[in-house]
Amino acid sequence: MPLLSDKIASQVRDVFNANLQQPVELLYFGRQQDCDYCDDNRQLLEEVTALHPTLHLITYDLDANADVARQYGIADAPATVIAARDEAQDGTASVHDYGIRLLGIPSGHEFGTLIQDLIVVSGRDSGLEPATRAFLSNLQKPIHLQVFVTPT
Amino acid sequence: MVLAHRMALESPLVTAEMVEASEFPAVAARHHVSGVPQTTINDGAGTLVGSAPESYLIAEIKKALKQ
Repeated sequence: MPLLSDKIASQVRDVFNANLQQPVELLYFGRQQDCDYCDDNRQLLEEVTALHPTLHLITYDLDANADVARQYGIADAPATVIAARDEAQDGTASVHDYGIRLLGIPSGHEFGTLIQDLIVVSGRDSGLEPATRAFLSNLQKPIHLQVFVTPT
Repeated sequence: MVLAHRMALESPLVTAEMVEASEFPAVAARHHVSGVPQTTINDGAGTLVGSAPESYLIAEIKKALKQ
């Protein structure tokens, strides 16, 4: 039973076809136990990434792949890293991590966030105002932003 | 939400995570989340409640960094 209706899938595919440019890698971290939304989150990402060839999904288990989780600073599940996928001419691909994370399932309003994130990362351009870009280019210290949301 | 992610894309010094508050109540409680969206800067050095334009978030970040 798909999570996305045919209608929604078709709309999202149209948006992807019109906006996606370069490859995107989604790294999903789930866990077997004590995770109410892990199965739905993984399935949602599988359905979304199946809608366009620039989208790639790697699925990890927080416990079995603890080394990878540590590398990406993932301590909870479900979590998703939205990164650039850089494909070399010899066919190999590498992950360029911008520090973009989703903690929890991107459903409801946040489904739109997921779609927009994929478009922004695919374009490799933040689209921010010049003043914001100037400020960020002069940063001396790290900034960690956590945006708390609810699914409604 | 996407604004924080755009900033992460722009700068290698910025990381940005969306946290679904109802799935991670302990994290939300630690950051005293009362309304959403709430943006927390550097683990509580700054906080912004509600959706805000870029300039507001930047002003809040500057305050948090004491620039």
